[in-house]
Amino acid sequence: MFDIIAVDISGRHKTAEGYLMVCAAIAASVTADHVEKVNQIAIRSFRNKSAPSVQDVVKMIEDTVSELKSEATIVTEAGDMYNKPQWLINSMFSQNFKYQESLSERRCIEIAHHVSFSSRKLLLKERDIQQ
Amino acid sequence: MRAILVKRNDPRSDDEKNNLQMKELRELADAAGYEVIAELTQTRHPDRRYHLGRGKVDELAQLVADLEPDKIIFHNPLTTMQVYNISEICRCETIDKFQLILEIFATRATTHRSKLQVELARLEYELPRAKAIVSLLKKEERPGFMGLGGYEDSYAQDIKNRISRIKSELETIQKDNESLREHRHSKGFSLITLAGYTNAGKSTLFNALVDEEVKSKNMLFTTLLPTTRSLNVQGRDVLVTDTVGFIENLPHWMVDAFKSTLDEIFLADVVLLVVDSSEPLEIISKKLLVCHETMWDQLSDVAIVTVFNKIDKITADELTEKMLALDYLAPNPVAVSAMTGFGFDNLKAQIHDQLPEWERINLSFPMSEKGMSLVAWIFDEGLVHNIRYGNDISIDFEARDKIINKAISLAAEIS
Repeated sequence: MFDIIAVDISGRHKTAEGYLMVCAAIAASVTADHVEKVNQIAIRSFRNKSAPSVQDVVKMIEDTVSELKSEATIVTEAGDMYNKPQWLINSMFSQNFKYQESLSERRCIEIAHHVSFSSRKLLLKERDIQQ
Repeated sequence: MRAILVKRNDPRSDDEKNNLQMKELRELADAAGYEVIAELTQTRHPDRRYHLGRGKVDELAQLVADLEPDKIIFHNPLTTMQVYNISEICRCETIDKFQLILEIFATRATTHRSKLQVELARLEYELPRAKAIVSLLKKEERPGFMGLGGYEDSYAQDIKNRISRIKSELETIQKDNESLREHRHSKGFSLITLAGYTNAGKSTLFNALVDEEVKSKNMLFTTLLPTTRSLNVQGRDVLVTDTVGFIENLPHWMVDAFKSTLDEIFLADVVLLVVDSSEPLEIISKKLLVCHETMWDQLSDVAIVTVFNKIDKITADELTEKMLALDYLAPNPVAVSAMTGFGFDNLKAQIHDQLPEWERINLSFPMSEKGMSLVAWIFDEGLVHNIRYGNDISIDFEARDKIINKAISLAAEIS
């Protein structure tokens, strides 16, 4: 069993009030094909006037992950990092980083996606912001 | 037939990966029956008109003039305009990897179904290009005012009609297969599917497991249609299905042969993910990654057993090292050699562990003609551990829920 931190960011598109993004990080224990246990979840929201650059994304992820107790490898989809090569992105993080590979990592990112998507939706509703 | 292979590498891409992709293209060309007479690569961003740089295309044209190949095969996907421009300059037929795979499928397709599948894949590939092709072909004879576009539309429409006709025919076959699978499930068979990258040794393992003579060769895409046979795993009857292998960068949804393979995988109880362990570690991990990626879309709640095949070709230390390094990509690993039969007991034990659970009970009923026929039925449907005959028959057996419930009610009727 391995520990990973799966991360997903929702809201990377423009709304009437700029970019309102929600980053969700999930610390989980996984095997190659199953998510065995979700240990902790951290969610943070971010605002930006312009579209986020790779550095912005890295900072958002680092900020969110810092709230977790786990120090495992961060896993994301390649698209979240604008499909840049893994070694380049890895060098930007203070923690270990890699792109999704196994079925369980994909499943974990899927969970992170649902978390970030639904919390962003809730946030928009609470603040009465039009998409 | 002779062919020249061409590949454009992305700038700053991994050399090893590029070499690997070239090797795969070579193997694919070999599987399609081509003799590779030259190879050409260029590192640059794609050119809109020629895909390669203009100078490189001229070099290619010179090479074609010298060696006179039958075809130029590109690793990268080409647009219709690029195919047209390259063929015009080189005066030689140009195809890309996808078309090459279709060619392999076309030459190997023997059954009615696989022929339909190949035709469908070819038409779907052709559809978005149809308009461009026709407008290129009819460039000279374009009629005057208001005449534009007539040919293009009718050709595209014709293709669409053919696609829908083939699809409906394939759907009928698909339905037959689905009902067959459901029937097998309801009969109590557990379904096991062999999956993995192309040329991982799935068919060889299948043959060795079920003692069958399915064609297996050291070649890509030897298997084009799923084949199913029964196998006894520690007393339980299961159905094993051999499938078509996966390949990198192929839109698997496009080829129906792959679709039916994927269906087999998603409806199985256990998937045996076959890996060629004689290959270098990086290659195995890349191929496993393609498998995970392909299966990801629809896979749910299926147990996966990773079979490290071809272990007769490597040492025990190498195997341990590889299995450890690939731990995060290989669920429930088992090492076997389909050639020598080594590790089959382990594999069967692992399959048995992953099969849907059976319950075990002890039943007693009076010895009679009906009682004996019940015993015979239990022997057929379940796994008998112990049986004692006296005035009463006492039988200790394992079976599915349904069978156990039926046995209990039948036993109650007899007594």
